[in-house]
Amino acid sequence: MTAGSLGEFEGQPLLRVERLRKYYPFTKGILFAKTLGQVKAVDDISFTIAAGETLGLVGESGCGKTTTSKLILNLEEPSEGRILLRGKPIHGLAGDALREYRARVQAVFQDPWSSLNPRMMVGRTIAESLIVTGWGNRTDIAERVRELLEQVGLRQDQATQYPHEFSGGQRQRIALASALASEPQLIVLDEPVSALDVSIRAQMMNLLKDIQARSNVAYLLVAHDLATVRHMADQTVVMYLGKIVEYAATQTLFDNVLHPYTKALFSAVLRPRPDRREEEIVLAGEVPSPLNPPSGCRFHTRCPFAMAHCSREEPPLREVEPGHLVACHLYDAAAAPAFARMKEEIVPT
Amino acid sequence: MSIAEQGVAIAEAPSDDIVLDVRDLQTYFFLRRGIVKAVDGVSFALRRGEVLGLVGESGCGKSLTALSIMRLLPKGSARTIHGEVLLNGEDILEKTPNEMREIRGRKISMILQDPQTSLNPVFTIGEQLREAIFRRTRGRTREVMREAVAALRRVDIAAPEQRLGQFPHQMSGGMKQRVVGAISISGRPEVLIADEPTTALDVTIQLQYLKLLKRLQEETRMAILFITHDFGVVARMCDRVAVMYAGRIVECGPVDQVFDNPSHPYTQALIASVPKMTGSTERLYTIEGQPPSLMDLPVGCRFAPRCPYADQRCLAAYPPSFTVGAEHTADCWRMTAA
Repeated sequence: MTAGSLGEFEGQPLLRVERLRKYYPFTKGILFAKTLGQVKAVDDISFTIAAGETLGLVGESGCGKTTTSKLILNLEEPSEGRILLRGKPIHGLAGDALREYRARVQAVFQDPWSSLNPRMMVGRTIAESLIVTGWGNRTDIAERVRELLEQVGLRQDQATQYPHEFSGGQRQRIALASALASEPQLIVLDEPVSALDVSIRAQMMNLLKDIQARSNVAYLLVAHDLATVRHMADQTVVMYLGKIVEYAATQTLFDNVLHPYTKALFSAVLRPRPDRREEEIVLAGEVPSPLNPPSGCRFHTRCPFAMAHCSREEPPLREVEPGHLVACHLYDAAAAPAFARMKEEIVPT
Repeated sequence: MSIAEQGVAIAEAPSDDIVLDVRDLQTYFFLRRGIVKAVDGVSFALRRGEVLGLVGESGCGKSLTALSIMRLLPKGSARTIHGEVLLNGEDILEKTPNEMREIRGRKISMILQDPQTSLNPVFTIGEQLREAIFRRTRGRTREVMREAVAALRRVDIAAPEQRLGQFPHQMSGGMKQRVVGAISISGRPEVLIADEPTTALDVTIQLQYLKLLKRLQEETRMAILFITHDFGVVARMCDRVAVMYAGRIVECGPVDQVFDNPSHPYTQALIASVPKMTGSTERLYTIEGQPPSLMDLPVGCRFAPRCPYADQRCLAAYPPSFTVGAEHTADCWRMTAA
């Protein structure tokens, strides 16, 4: 945490996402393609990640969390807005500067079965990123590979084995080792544990936390499981259809969920020991298409507390309580009656 | 060794109104490299109108147990070599393939994990649903049509008449899985095997689907064998739960009892290692090591190599099922004293 605060003393968070938008054109025809519309995969989102910190990005399929991570990994160009790493814009980088960026920002993906090259010994897979970033000579690289394997809880002699010789949990460790190889400042973790078995998942989560404590790397944790986010993340962002609906420190958010969509997500968490008193919001219908998102608040079509003007005016993301940002008209001063109704109905006792 | 011990467990299993009774089921893969004992002596009973959860991690044999019951084992090396699957007292392992075809869908039906692969992409959902209904009723087109619409309406699909003409790719994952559900229960089966039906769905859609399945189950009084790896789903859906490890059921009992008083160390560890929504966010409990290879199983308790309480006895012999409460059994030597 000490180095984490250092970043803030310099006045810059590690990563700053500013009013980011990514629209994909939806076209018809091949040669003289006509643009029929835009899929607004990510629509005006902003957040920051401090060094050594974990930001959890939660939402269902189609909410834009994968697009966001692709933009941060510099695999996609934003339509508008920008991303800054330590104050420097990341898009438009080329050559050595881009290579440098790739070394600083790494990724671990969901599926360890497809993210490793089956024909490459895992030591070689890990060494790859060291070779690309010019780590040093052969002995330095070999030494670093051994060190990395040890860091992720594998044996040094396993460097000469192939991916099929490992279980899913071990493969995910290998993916993590190769992400860590270039000493990144940020790792994008895209559903890093959801493909793993329950008992293996806990091992991986502990390992990720240990590595963060040691190396002060920051994580962007893309996940759908709230309990995982609660265990891992310092800050939590909840997205719905390309928009941020709620953003706060994890503790603050989990103690006092404000947005109706987040509330629905929380009540959809199936607890091993169900507390019968807990109120339940079952959302009707499914997530609308991002090609033609609902007007006004994008959640109004499924929101049990929608008011007349929710379909007309888009609620801004505002600080409703200290450090707790919510995009919802229920927290407007004018919405007092509907707000009272919601409090009555769903605030857990 | 196991047959006599399993006999003990069966005697203690509930005997009232059992619709599906699986006894000492063994399904092995015969490979050139050796024999993979994927399901190795599984016994359980399913009562009418009951939901039994079958929980375990990948490779524990839970899906293969389901496929053995349906007699839909992958072609080639897998064979059920021992055991009985009594459906209303009749052993369906003895049935001919033709008889089996009549049983599937009408008496016992299945929902698979991925709706993407269980629906045929080149037929409309109407054609797929009508096929299932026609095979059962041999009714006239109009009656089949009417029943197809009713089946879709039962699974909460709006405007079913229009949906019938659509292809699977025109629907979302949650809707496809509801269509699969509609097809599975169109024959009014007595037993439904649901193999991780919500794993591929988003959380809010999962909740919708589980509520729907529960409602249908209560309406039709069918029994469900619910295969999952998620204790949250078990708590939501099931009356009883069986925990599987390395091809065997290691603990079985009413859901509340198993959660409040997990008796097998593996069940305890599984429950402890799940991240929670309340309480501390410090380090999670982990089970060290990996499950044993199914080709080379230990002589004694299969969990012993990873178990913090293991002693000589555990390594020497597989424990019998001990009773730890009403309808609650655990295969662990530590229960001898209890």
